[in-house]
Amino acid sequence: MEKMKTEDFIKELKEALEIEDEDQEITLETNLKELEEYDSLSVLSIIAMIDKNFGKQIPSIDFIKITTIKSLIDLIGKEHFE
Amino acid sequence: MGTKISNIEYYLPETLLTNDDLERKFSDWSSEKIENKVGIRERHIVREDETALDLALKAAEKVLKNYDKDKIDFLLLCTQSPDYYLPTSSCILQDKLRLKTNIGAFDYNLGCSGFVYGLALAKSLITSRVAKNILLITSETYNKHIHPKDKGNRTIFGDAAAATIIEKSEEEHIGEFVLGTDGSGYKNLIVPNGGLRNRYDINAKEIDDGSGSIRTDNNLYMNGPEIFNFTIKAVPKVVSETLGKNNTTLDDLDYVVFHQANKYMNEYLREKIGIPKEKYYLNLLKTGNTVSATIPIAIKEALDNKLIKKGDKVLLVGFGVGYSWGGTIIKI
Repeated sequence: MEKMKTEDFIKELKEALEIEDEDQEITLETNLKELEEYDSLSVLSIIAMIDKNFGKQIPSIDFIKITTIKSLIDLIGKEHFE
Repeated sequence: MGTKISNIEYYLPETLLTNDDLERKFSDWSSEKIENKVGIRERHIVREDETALDLALKAAEKVLKNYDKDKIDFLLLCTQSPDYYLPTSSCILQDKLRLKTNIGAFDYNLGCSGFVYGLALAKSLITSRVAKNILLITSETYNKHIHPKDKGNRTIFGDAAAATIIEKSEEEHIGEFVLGTDGSGYKNLIVPNGGLRNRYDINAKEIDDGSGSIRTDNNLYMNGPEIFNFTIKAVPKVVSETLGKNNTTLDDLDYVVFHQANKYMNEYLREKIGIPKEKYYLNLLKTGNTVSATIPIAIKEALDNKLIKKGDKVLLVGFGVGYSWGGTIIKI
């Protein structure tokens, strides 16, 4: 499978979380759980996004441990990213 | 010699729980967001003194308005919310409906896969000449298990019952079945207490799921993300296996009815599997997820709204609690 660019991943993540503000700065260090838009419904979008782009399912027990976007990338596996 | 579905009716309890009601109760919940994301605007909820058996009775009475009840020689009741551990709720239902006494009747405990399993049972009973005219009722009241402060589950689940008549017929209208079971997922959709493994605990502590939904172990617990993971892996496979077993393809099908879990998940599965929007039933706006009743309600609605017609080949797939799943193809 092709590797994904981090910027593209963050873009998809913003879409999944329905963050409409284009100027809102989301970086690798942004803590997902502290985002206003992060709730139980957005978790479903993230699961779908990961399946669509990486063909992977993340066990929810690992999902609970996620903090920053970087931690999400680590969970998916750095080898999938450029 | 074959089998066919000949009538479907359903009953929704009178009390409504709307998104606006939920927004009032849970300050950070948005009515608009709920409707857009999960596709639900309102759900019907049983009263305190109303049970799945009461709903089953009303749905059955509805379907028997246009069918001679003396022809029924078997009663199947699918529910996970029976009136008693014993006796069997369908025995009580036989009496309340004044069906003949020389018939078979039993309950079976399944959720979202319940209707497909019910069709498999009905087809088997008729094909083996055990019965000729079967009344299959799928009736569920998850709201009786859900904690008042569990905003997640109160948003999703509605109560309902559907009554379906399956009869012996000249041609076969019910196809081959693919059934599946994976108990490794049992903890992800469960009412932990109240059965015989863990008794009801009057001192059960409140548990916060981390996103503002409260429950105790006496209540329904659903791990949404884990269930979503399961469906992403299992449902595409069930679809291709069911198509294969029935020697047909997605293109050959006229319509597809999945268990109506929630709009987001159902739409993702549609897209992943490659089912065209116009062939795919997706509507739980006014019912919510009614568990084993979603598929028969969908078929009835699709028929009434002329989305399907006589002769159409329709794929049915149920999946969920257990984990349990099943697929088949019916000819309307």
